Amino acid sequence: MPHCSPEQLALAALHEELPADDAAHLAACAQCREEVASLQRAVDALAVPSMAAPGPAVPPPARVWDAIAAATGATTAPRPEFVPAEAVPAEAVPAEDSGADVVPFRRRARPARRWLTVAAALLVGGVVGAGAVAVVRGQDEGALVAQTALAPLDDDGSAGRAEVREQATGRVLAVDLDAPELDDGYYEVWLLQSDAQRMVQVGVVQRGATVLPLPDGIDLGAYPLVDVSVEPLDGVPTHSGVSVARGELET
Amino acid sequence: MSAGAGLGLRSVAPYGSGMGTEPTPLHRAPSDPDDAEVARRFSAGDEQALAWAYERWAGQVHGMAVRAFGPGPDAEDVTQQTFIAAWTGRAGYAAGQGPLPGWLVGICRHKIADTWARRDRQRRSADAAADDARSRPPGSGSVEVDSVVADRVLLLGELNRLGQPQRSIIELAFFDDLTHAQISARTGIPLGTVKSHIRRTLERLRNRLEADGAALQP
Repeated sequence: MPHCSPEQLALAALHEELPADDAAHLAACAQCREEVASLQRAVDALAVPSMAAPGPAVPPPARVWDAIAAATGATTAPRPEFVPAEAVPAEAVPAEDSGADVVPFRRRARPARRWLTVAAALLVGGVVGAGAVAVVRGQDEGALVAQTALAPLDDDGSAGRAEVREQATGRVLAVDLDAPELDDGYYEVWLLQSDAQRMVQVGVVQRGATVLPLPDGIDLGAYPLVDVSVEPLDGVPTHSGVSVARGELET
Repeated sequence: MSAGAGLGLRSVAPYGSGMGTEPTPLHRAPSDPDDAEVARRFSAGDEQALAWAYERWAGQVHGMAVRAFGPGPDAEDVTQQTFIAAWTGRAGYAAGQGPLPGWLVGICRHKIADTWARRDRQRRSADAAADDARSRPPGSGSVEVDSVVADRVLLLGELNRLGQPQRSIIELAFFDDLTHAQISARTGIPLGTVKSHIRRTLERLRNRLEADGAALQP
């Protein structure tokens, strides 16, 4: 077969799937592969998650507008009710804790799609299970220390229940989560301060029941909010900013 | 406090929302002007339009910044610099630039790339100092990373120089992760035309990298 057309090679550089003939030729032809590689440098530099079209919105804290107003001299401020502030726990994590600067240097074949997948799962995914049930079952469930219902934060319907129990080995956070299945990404549970300015990562939660150990010495009075987030599989250890369910622990 | 009430409000933005998709009603009062009017008044220097633009699109811009850097000062700085640059550079926003939110997202991309480059320079200075201290060969290990960061700034500048529809087409491919068939369906531009624009744009970007890019330097 003759060489692939220049247009097909450009599509290959964008990681599009080629027709079988072209794909077979490309696999066997060093010259065509070299052409793809040379076109791909720009793709690899730009088609990365940090450059992708906006995904989930994260309201900036009020100080961002203050700085803009100071720099531009603007006296007409946005109405706070239209820019919900301090809403998302993502505001709270100190940047120095962020591993985010490793992300763009990974080569992903289809970098943006995972955001679509998560969003689509949130929007259309079915909700499994029904009703809150006792989270911890079995003999060593331990004494109930605190509990809360996890209320949905959006129309995806994720909800559930969380309990803190004192077991022989220490306190645990037991989560029962009714949430859509995610094609890509996973759910994670956090304990937040009530102003959502600080948080502690507790661990990965599955749909259904998950029991996780709590850090020794954590003051539940200081971290009363149980927050479940959707995390992309991007290696970034901080909160994604996408919370799907939350509740306040009551003792 | 009842669970979740008043906290954690968020919206999952529609896919491709940087390209001028309507914002959720949360960001607008019924009497407020539509996006096109906000854009017109923004470019005319009406200060009220800056506040409206912030209400409608700061969440998306900040969402991008947080995705790039995690929450914190760098992300906040990117969001802040994006709106300041948009306002001070509003004369450069003309009707041909497309919807205002898409223009803001483009500025945000530049600010993110600039911040990466700045972080990278700082890290290299720190590495160089550490290398000196340890008497090791300088720069070992981070050459590839450095060059990608520098290339990104260069390439975004080149994208700014593309005309339409070439620019929209390649942005949909790069940033919205659409296939050429999806781009054709979205834009109404024939498949063959989309493919030839993609080819020519990738060649142009390759030429730019070969002329000025760091990645191809030996």
